[in-house]
Amino acid sequence: MFDIMTVFESFVEILKVVPKTLLLALIILVLSFTLGAMITYIQSLNIPVVRQVIGVLQSFLRGTPNVVLLYLVYYSLPLVLAWFLGLFNVTFDPTSLNSTAIVIVTFSICYSVFQSEIIRGALHSLDKDQIEAAQSLGYSTTQVLRKVIIPQVMVEALPDTMNAFLIIIKALSLAFLVTVVDIFAQARLVGAQSFSYLEAFVAAAFVYWGICVLLTYVIDKLENRMRRGYA
Amino acid sequence: MLNIENLNLSFGDHKVLDDISLEVKKGEVITFIGPSGTGKTSLLRCINLLEKPESGRITLGGLTYDFGSITKKETLNLRRKTAMVFQQYNLFKNKTVLENVMDAQIVVQKKSKKAAHDKSMKELARVGLDGKADAYPHQLSGGQQQRVSIARALAVEPEVILFDEPTSALDPELVGEVLKAIGEVADSGMTIILVTHEMSFAKDISDRVIFMDQGRVAEEGPPEQIFNHSESARTQQFLRKFYTTTH
Ligand SMILES: Nc1ncnc2c1ncn2[C@@H]1O[C@H](COP(=O)(O)OP(=O)(O)OP(=O)(O)O)[C@@H](O)[C@H]1O
Ligand SMILES: [Mg+2]
Repeated sequence: MFDIMTVFESFVEILKVVPKTLLLALIILVLSFTLGAMITYIQSLNIPVVRQVIGVLQSFLRGTPNVVLLYLVYYSLPLVLAWFLGLFNVTFDPTSLNSTAIVIVTFSICYSVFQSEIIRGALHSLDKDQIEAAQSLGYSTTQVLRKVIIPQVMVEALPDTMNAFLIIIKALSLAFLVTVVDIFAQARLVGAQSFSYLEAFVAAAFVYWGICVLLTYVIDKLENRMRRGYA
Repeated sequence: MLNIENLNLSFGDHKVLDDISLEVKKGEVITFIGPSGTGKTSLLRCINLLEKPESGRITLGGLTYDFGSITKKETLNLRRKTAMVFQQYNLFKNKTVLENVMDAQIVVQKKSKKAAHDKSMKELARVGLDGKADAYPHQLSGGQQQRVSIARALAVEPEVILFDEPTSALDPELVGEVLKAIGEVADSGMTIILVTHEMSFAKDISDRVIFMDQGRVAEEGPPEQIFNHSESARTQQFLRKFYTTTH
């Protein structure tokens, strides 16, 4: 029988891992954004071989399901690390690598490709006239960056980046595969304990949805604030 | 006060400015006229170093800068002594009118907020826009936006203001208010280098008019000479063509 009380209890249990899930997603977002910015920068330099290699890598990341990538990293990263540290005569036990670290590495790489596209788009829409106005008034390169370029790029990249944040939160439901407990994994645990999977997953769905609604609201407010002055 | 010597600029193998020399006295209003693609905009952009000439020297405010060996620091220094009013206004879109005028004073000149605010309101009043201080650029007409950009230029107290066709992006009925603002800037004793196609305005406001053709100074003199008694066949031809196509 479907029991609404159990849904509520599961909900409370699941809420406990929300902060951890959000923090994980935030770390991944920041890392993937940084990595994405680096990719955008390197690609803009147009170095012959490097350009193609990154292109192939991007295509590979785009064409491979997150689950597959997660397992790939899970099984290969510890070995690669052990080998790499071995070069410097540092001994490293491959089994000691934290699963959370593996999730972070996998998703950061995965979403860097998308972030790179977002940043490229935002840079593309930069208004050169405003940059020249600032330069003509004697702004230094860093002042132009801080006062003119970054505010513009932020406004342009914000909606897509927030979207990416929501996608990452949802994608983290795969993390249970490598024993990291996020919202979805917690729902499975709660469901297993009370033999009431349906209630647990209903609760999980509401938690995800709630986060989405809340974040969308905050971001809309933020965007409206930052977009003041844009017709 | 402003002295340009042997300025040369090329884009690829296209020579855009060919050995330009120019001396401007304090408070003088100099107007450049000439056919399209002749290098008028490029010259203003060189004075402001938005374009880097390959050779030449400029003296401004008692310091001489050699374009061939100019450093980053000198570049900023020279830019801080000049201000540019662009054809498309180039206002900061996400800042209010007041912030547009204040920003450089705070960021570049490191003035206090209060000092920058007071100075900005004063300059906005001069162009008749103190009532629009809290509006965003897109809420203003083109003429009002251009007047804000004039206030922004005035607010940093430059040695010279460079105007590049400040009215050519405007609807005809808005040209007058901007010309009036420029006239008042000239009356206040500001040194001005102006590029325009508004010939009658040029005639009224200028101390000296320079006709530029294919990257060179073809003729220069008082407005009366250039417009009415030009000695150069090219100038006469340009003005004749100009008046028959636009009037
Ligand atoms: N960034 C650039 N790269 C290459 N060529 C350029 C560049 N900027 C200007 N030019 C060329 O330099 C020449 C002078 O251009 P400039 O804009 O200075 O002319 P102008 O006298 O201001 O013309 P107009 O009256 O149409 O504004 C033109 O032939 C133009 O095509
Ligand atoms: Mg021009």
